[in-house]
Amino acid sequence: MGPSVDLSGLRRAWLVAGREARADTRHPDGIVAAITFMAVLILLESIVVGPQIARDTAVAPALYWIALLFAAIVTTTRSFDRELEDDALDGVIALPGGRDALYAGKLVALGGTLGLVALVGGLLEIVFLDLGIALPGHLVVATIVGVAALPPIVVLDVALTVRLRARAALVPVLALPVLMPQLVAATNAAGAALAGDAMGASAWSALLFAIALVYAVLGLTIVPTAIE
Amino acid sequence: MPSVESTAGLRGATVILDDRAVLRDVDIDVAPGITVLRGPNGAGKTTALRALAGLVPLAAGTREVPFDVLYLGHRAQLLHGLTARENLRFFIEFRGPTSRARLAPAAPGRHGEREARLAGALERWGLRADADRPVERLSAGQRRRAALARLDTETCALALLDEPFAELDAEAAALLRSSLLDATALGTAILIASHGHAELDDLAVRAYALRDGRMVPEPSAD
Repeated sequence: MGPSVDLSGLRRAWLVAGREARADTRHPDGIVAAITFMAVLILLESIVVGPQIARDTAVAPALYWIALLFAAIVTTTRSFDRELEDDALDGVIALPGGRDALYAGKLVALGGTLGLVALVGGLLEIVFLDLGIALPGHLVVATIVGVAALPPIVVLDVALTVRLRARAALVPVLALPVLMPQLVAATNAAGAALAGDAMGASAWSALLFAIALVYAVLGLTIVPTAIE
Repeated sequence: MPSVESTAGLRGATVILDDRAVLRDVDIDVAPGITVLRGPNGAGKTTALRALAGLVPLAAGTREVPFDVLYLGHRAQLLHGLTARENLRFFIEFRGPTSRARLAPAAPGRHGEREARLAGALERWGLRADADRPVERLSAGQRRRAALARLDTETCALALLDEPFAELDAEAAALLRSSLLDATALGTAILIASHGHAELDDLAVRAYALRDGRMVPEPSAD
């Protein structure tokens, strides 16, 4: 009965991600809620600022990323709520390597879920606002790295506050200031892609990628000792 | 540190939760076989198990545990949205090849062996007909059975069980006794928190008692 060192951390994370995806497939209410939330938020924001302003290449991406950020919080919170329903969280974190795998697996799973939400939300915004896209390839890259940059912080904050009663209030308060650089970078990257500024889109996307990498490593370092 | 023959242990363990010391200077050794941790409700038994499982931090003292620990708490720890079979399969796959067959004869290949082991455990615990229903649609007793079936599907050096006989009917209690004996035969050290179930009297080789978070004298079953 030696230690099970033969199963890599990556494979464990993949198992957690697969478990999450299977549960989401059977109960897609979390994804549907996130997409609905995002669509309503984009629509409301567009109405509030007016369609002409909302179509501006500096404003439309901001509306999109703010909505996606809140959708990420909704999705991640829902994911951890499910872990708490039958103390499933304890079952995973008591496993050898469970804490690392839980964090990394949630990153992968929520990255996938957010990718879907981002795709649907993006298409809805393009249709709602009748947006013209000068550099579609750059926009896709900016969106992919922007989506990848969200889960490391959102999952970290939800994981750290998972057992706190004030979690619903704490998560946005903790996450939003830390996510501000991502929000700015993602908005500028997408705005540059919409406006046809290839260099700007690439530079902001590279910054987003670096932020995603730093926060993922930071999360992997902090979470194993912080999850209780 | 725990004594030489022990698999795991706490030494001078103190746990503080919500500004209250729920464990104070607790020493526990868990050796192969069954060790019982007794005490009334609120004595700190669950906290002691969670401290050993690494689920609560120690304010003072030390914890020594092996790499592969199985912790079964009050609740079933099964993810809603997955079936009982999928949940058990997840735990087996997560642990990797150290989990090995105890019930079913090995089928060719790792995948076949795993599925045979799963099917055998589900059959043994009376869950064959409901194994592919999402766990949230099972009764509390069925979920409890599915959780305890992990004793048969996973192999570990240390198993920590919190009131495992709670919510079990006579048949399931007998199955649990059998699974515990199977696990101890494989060398697993088992620590069971209990507020006094008679089922454990003839199984335990060692016993501790807690009251108000402190160790109190308990005669050994040796």
